[in-house]
Amino acid sequence: MNPTAGLSKSRLLVTVLMLVAGAFMIVPFLWMISTSFQSASEVFSRWLPSKLDWSNHKRIWTGNYNFVPYYMNSLKVSLISTVGAVFLSAFAAYGFARVEFKGRNTLFLVYLSMMMIPPQVIFVPKFIMFNWMNIYNTHWALILPGMFSIFGVFMLRQFFMGVPREITESAFLDGAGHFKIFFRLILPLAKPALATFAIIDFSWHWNDYENALVFLTSPKLYTIPLGLQNFILENNVDYNGMMAASSAAIVPMIAIFLLGQKYIIQGIASSAVKG
Amino acid sequence: MRKQQWAGYAFILPNMVGILLFFIIPALFSFGLMFTNYQFANPNFSFTGLDNLKRMFQDDQFYRAIKHTGIFLLSVPVSLVLAFLVALVLNRSVYLKGLLRGMFFLPYISSGVAVAFVWMLLFQPSHGPINEALRWIGIASPPGWFADSDTAMYAIDIVQVWFMLGYNMIIYLAALQEVSAEQMEAATIDGAGKGTITWKIVWPLVSPTTFLLLVTGLIMTMKSFAIIQAITQGGPSGSTTILSLYVYKTAFSYYEMGYASTVSWFLFAVILVITIVQWIGQKRWVHY
Repeated sequence: MNPTAGLSKSRLLVTVLMLVAGAFMIVPFLWMISTSFQSASEVFSRWLPSKLDWSNHKRIWTGNYNFVPYYMNSLKVSLISTVGAVFLSAFAAYGFARVEFKGRNTLFLVYLSMMMIPPQVIFVPKFIMFNWMNIYNTHWALILPGMFSIFGVFMLRQFFMGVPREITESAFLDGAGHFKIFFRLILPLAKPALATFAIIDFSWHWNDYENALVFLTSPKLYTIPLGLQNFILENNVDYNGMMAASSAAIVPMIAIFLLGQKYIIQGIASSAVKG
Repeated sequence: MRKQQWAGYAFILPNMVGILLFFIIPALFSFGLMFTNYQFANPNFSFTGLDNLKRMFQDDQFYRAIKHTGIFLLSVPVSLVLAFLVALVLNRSVYLKGLLRGMFFLPYISSGVAVAFVWMLLFQPSHGPINEALRWIGIASPPGWFADSDTAMYAIDIVQVWFMLGYNMIIYLAALQEVSAEQMEAATIDGAGKGTITWKIVWPLVSPTTFLLLVTGLIMTMKSFAIIQAITQGGPSGSTTILSLYVYKTAFSYYEMGYASTVSWFLFAVILVITIVQWIGQKRWVHY
């Protein structure tokens, strides 16, 4: 194809059309942010606020229903879960990818088959077991299971299998064991893959609503999704407040996405398996 | 070699403990509950054999939930076709590809309850911007969306399509990179038009991707109820209660945990069937 002037004109036209379509995709976010800066009388009547009204955001952060504790809870749960999941998944993934041992394939098949189990099947028994273990209605009910990710094992295993054998072969000859090789050679090489998984996993925990719904009942333990729901139940006509609160929940994800876009897109494209 | 054995178990053990404790044991436990009339808060329960299964197949709400799940699943093929078209255009014929890709992908990363609440207001029947826009273009009585039991499930579908589009697009973009320029050019020389190339050459070449996305999309959609629970809680009058939400409500609103387990295993059975179809289909239908 020759990039002639005519061709690039049509390309420009297509770009504009796609920008319009793309704008439709992000209109909900723009509308949310715009509404969060409007005064109560302006909701639904105009697209842009007549002047920036910060009071909604102020209310979210300092008012009676402020989001500071929800934020702290979400950060705590998401960070600990993600760090745990990255390490535990990397360990197991290395075992599955690079160590030969009896029963490896069977075990991996068990892992894969667990991906088919819908969370609804295990909510009830987990609810009962967590009551026995005395971790129901504590953050541990989210953090402990959150540290085990079948998707993470699967994704990192794919990556480790792609690391050329020659790289580890010479270290073996020098007498290094699997642990040394894992920590000194493989982990540093896997930084991009680990980062990809960490971002995807963190966003999953940050947005997780279903587990929090089942396992948390005390408002002081609520994570952001439940905090939002609580806010809306108690202030159901405060549309500006709702949108300010929603912005507070979404903006960190948008920021992470913009910073880690490359990793996220590569990670998703290379392992279309999350289920 | 013996050393290898031990190293293998040592690497897997920490993870295995958690998988056992939080996936495998609960799954077995749930399977057992299926045959009981267990209710939380009532320590006396008995084994009731297949009673729960009988009850399920006579339960009108169960059949309604299946129908709603079916409508919910319509979002999967719709979002696939749209994602394919967007990926096709982004792959070859635009400027600002990175920006556009980001715009279409943003909904997926910011998923969750916050987005659900934004849509709740956008679809608000009397003053919401969507209905305002519809009135502006001359539709005097636009739909009630989430507030109307006839339209609520379809409104949910719109949100779901919007949410899944970017994810599917990313995978299609990766697949389109594999379609070689030579294949396209050969077809152009043979005199094929753009439309013909797309449907006769590109679409079949990405069929493994379409198949994978269809299967994983169906499974993922079937398992998720967060958006629905946040927007409608399954209402109005039960019109958006899909199977996964029905399980949740049966277990945690009515505390009928034995029966809830039974319905949840039906959900598993459907996922199992889809997965088996995938195994067989991958070999047969897909054009490599």
